[in-house]
Amino acid sequence: MTALLEAKGLKKTYRMGKVLVPALQGITFDVAEGEFLAVFGPSGSGKSTLLHVLGGLDRPDEGEVFVDGVGFSTLNDNALAEVRLRRIGFVFQFFNLLPRLTALRNVELPLTLADFPEKESIKKAEDMLKLVGLEDRMSHRPSEMSGGEQQRVAIARALVNDPKIVLADEPTGNLDTSTGGEIVQLMKRLNEEKGQTLVVVTHDPAIAETVDRIIYLEDGRVQRIKKGHGRL
Amino acid sequence: MRIKRVFSMAWESMRQRKLRAFLTTLGVVIGITAIIALASLGEGFRVSITERMEQGFELDVLTVIPGTLFAGMRAPFTDSEVANIRKVSNVSAATPVMQMGSVELYNEDKKVTAFVAAAVNFTEFQEVFPDRFTNFEKGKIPEKIENDTLIIGYKVNHPNETEPAFANPNDNVTMTVSIPTATPFPQIRFENYSFTVAGTLEKTGTAGLTNFNYWVFMPLETARKIFDTNSSDLVFVKVSNADFSENVAEKIEALFPPYQLTVLVPLSFIQQVNSILNMVEIFLTSIASIALLVAGIGIMNIMTVSVMERTREIGILKAVGAKSRTVLTMFLAEAALVGVLGSLIGVPTGYGLAHVLSYVLSSFVSPQQNHVFQAPEAEQATITPVFSWSWVIIAVVFGIAICILFGLYPARKAAKLDPVEALRYE
Repeated sequence: MTALLEAKGLKKTYRMGKVLVPALQGITFDVAEGEFLAVFGPSGSGKSTLLHVLGGLDRPDEGEVFVDGVGFSTLNDNALAEVRLRRIGFVFQFFNLLPRLTALRNVELPLTLADFPEKESIKKAEDMLKLVGLEDRMSHRPSEMSGGEQQRVAIARALVNDPKIVLADEPTGNLDTSTGGEIVQLMKRLNEEKGQTLVVVTHDPAIAETVDRIIYLEDGRVQRIKKGHGRL
Repeated sequence: MRIKRVFSMAWESMRQRKLRAFLTTLGVVIGITAIIALASLGEGFRVSITERMEQGFELDVLTVIPGTLFAGMRAPFTDSEVANIRKVSNVSAATPVMQMGSVELYNEDKKVTAFVAAAVNFTEFQEVFPDRFTNFEKGKIPEKIENDTLIIGYKVNHPNETEPAFANPNDNVTMTVSIPTATPFPQIRFENYSFTVAGTLEKTGTAGLTNFNYWVFMPLETARKIFDTNSSDLVFVKVSNADFSENVAEKIEALFPPYQLTVLVPLSFIQQVNSILNMVEIFLTSIASIALLVAGIGIMNIMTVSVMERTREIGILKAVGAKSRTVLTMFLAEAALVGVLGSLIGVPTGYGLAHVLSYVLSSFVSPQQNHVFQAPEAEQATITPVFSWSWVIIAVVFGIAICILFGLYPARKAAKLDPVEALRYE
């Protein structure tokens, strides 16, 4: 199994006023193609920072991230944006949809940014919304949808550009248990049916039940790596 | 991202914030309206002044007078000097004139005063002033010109519109002429001469340097006999094309020793006035531009607030993969749209306002029946706003440029946002 994503010795320190907060203190691990990986840890353990660094939203102070063998440190901001656009999909705890746009337009956004012809991008966005079971919600705006529906739209948006890897930051953190469970099942289905590589940062034990591998994070360090109940 | 999509997203975003978009656009509309209104009125003002001046002085007629204002008088022109002037290239006609100052005319018990009694060669004079010396109210220039032939200007003949004319063709009138004599000692003699009226002129154009309405004309030979001279006081020179007038004036000056004569060139008067009007117009439009500048600052203000409000949105865009340049273009597109919209509304509003203003202004300055100050041929003073595409283009380009310029700072601010911090923004 080849490593799709590699994290090598990632270190990152934040400055909060006068206090230096070490968020990542040397993190190294691989994510294999087709793997469904969960990062577990208490709040403040550096999970979100790790996800941002893995997705090229933030740069580490030290260490390197490789996606498909390409090191992020060699890329400038524009090239990194291009990597986010074409190879990485993000799913956030608070959905982060554009409130002014309909579900369809939200899902279409990455394709628009990637200069897809409008006809083609609308077709693709519709397919994605069908895939996440929202074919009858396409023209609704985020404010007209439930949290679970919004998160499905966000997942559809993350998938629409056929990314190598989807990074999800507490995707169930803002949802009730049963809706959260549906989202976990959706991600599981995507992983199994499409072979989608997923990295999920979470507190949610329900996710731990489903994933292939769990990384436990504490104080910005990998405390242990455990095999999950997934198929890998 | 394709520019068409950028603009459609910008348009969508403006539609979502209608009041805000309306207010920012209103600022630009006011600026553009002010520029267009003042520019078109200024241009209309220039046109109306230039037209009046062109009616007053024939642009293709130069007036040659002996002496200069500062170097003093010299002897009047001899006939051979006039002949030399006539030979200058691009001169199509030249006619000498003797002026007698004001004279009094009597027709039985009626008496009028003419400001200028001029002695001219009628046929030559007609060549130089075809527009003003051909329209007769009554009578005409006789085929055979007698020594006592007299032509009377309109205002001389009609000092008061309500009363009957002073004289009609074939009336015999008496003219009292003051004749300066040097011997035995300097004095002025008054002598009466009898004339037969040949024609009375129609009212001629607006007042200029030579307002024939107040003139009477007699044959040059007659005046020469009265004053016992062979010279002329001034020469009117008609140029084949007004554009040559400066050049012809220089050539005429070169015929004489320096400082011996003055050539009045009406075109250069008008050019002077034009350059003054130009400055006035530039001054007016720069004041109007301040309005547009203020609108620009309004745009900067509102866009800065807008960037702060939309920080999270910008974070999302960047997380999804939007480049800084894309974010910059999106915000600039909104600013540009405000400029385009503002200009599209501002240009017609500006011309509308100009028409309203010109209507209001002209009703303010309409001629009153004021006998003391009323100009002899007071006309309704109207300034018609002038539409010009070049001003439309200037205003639109300026409007959009200001919007983009002032949108640049907030747009750059948006583009530079750190995605992680932007996403965290509440």
